Amino acid sequence: MTKFESNKWPILTIVIIIVVLMIMLTVGFTIGILSEDPDGLERALIDARGETWLESLPSPWVPILGWIESDYIAGIIGILLSVVLMVAIFYLIAYIKKNKE
Amino acid sequence: MHIPDGLLDPITTVVLWIVTIIFMIIGFKKIGKTFEEEDSEKLIPYIGVLAATLFAFQFVNYPVPGGTSGHLVGGTLVGVILGPWAAVIVIFMILVVQSLFGDGGITAIGANTFNMGVICGILGFYIVKAIILVLNKTNMEKEKKVTIATAIGSYIAILLAAFMAGVEVGIGGAIPMEIIIPAMIFWHIFIGIGEAVISALIVYFIYKVKPEFITTEEILGVITNDQV
Repeated sequence: MTKFESNKWPILTIVIIIVVLMIMLTVGFTIGILSEDPDGLERALIDARGETWLESLPSPWVPILGWIESDYIAGIIGILLSVVLMVAIFYLIAYIKKNKE
Repeated sequence: MHIPDGLLDPITTVVLWIVTIIFMIIGFKKIGKTFEEEDSEKLIPYIGVLAATLFAFQFVNYPVPGGTSGHLVGGTLVGVILGPWAAVIVIFMILVVQSLFGDGGITAIGANTFNMGVICGILGFYIVKAIILVLNKTNMEKEKKVTIATAIGSYIAILLAAFMAGVEVGIGGAIPMEIIIPAMIFWHIFIGIGEAVISALIVYFIYKVKPEFITTEEILGVITNDQV
């Protein structure tokens, strides 16, 4: 409980970020402030070699979350995974540092 | 900006992985030192918030003229908030999560971290620092100095990262350098504007609501008006 109290604001902020992202995705694509066009590198590659070539590039890796087609679900899972990974890695750094002392 | 698998040659891939790992090791050591000076229990949850913000912003693509889109990279932004060395680690972790969704190649994480973490994060941070040194000669408030410097620094860093990504892809041989480098620079001239605006707005917002979250003022050499 104390842990939640002390981390109340970061947790609430993450929830707010998720909600804002969902609203941005819903409203953004509808009114056109967001785009599904290729980004800078993809555009440069498509212009040079075509979309079919870009999609056929060999990869040793099948993205394990590539089956998620909904932007909303991908957004939520991605945010949560990023937060968990990031907090875990930085706690680990702090823990190692403390143990060394 | 996310390089997919299959574009880079094996030597470039391995070299950039090694370079990234070296920067990560230095980053881990430097962050450890920061945690000695700052209260890590307080700082870490906010690093989580930053990760959430960055992932959310990288997820939304804004339109760029010519049927292209751009999204925040955030390397310089993280550098300004947490420091240049933390930026490499944060960007690496974000890229790992994105690769799970197929955004950016798994073998190219080293190259992508080099472009977005090392160039945008570390080099971008020092560009911001150089601009702040110039702005210190003015009477501007410190938050405005950092905000303006972040905007310009992010823009330059994105162009440099785009240039490097072009070089890396060019070395791979899939597309000649004389085609990919100008194309990358051209598109990122427009995309960089979004990066600059979003990064500056986030920094300014943090200054307004939680200024202590910008942990790099001392390293950036920001001089407040009363210090002049």
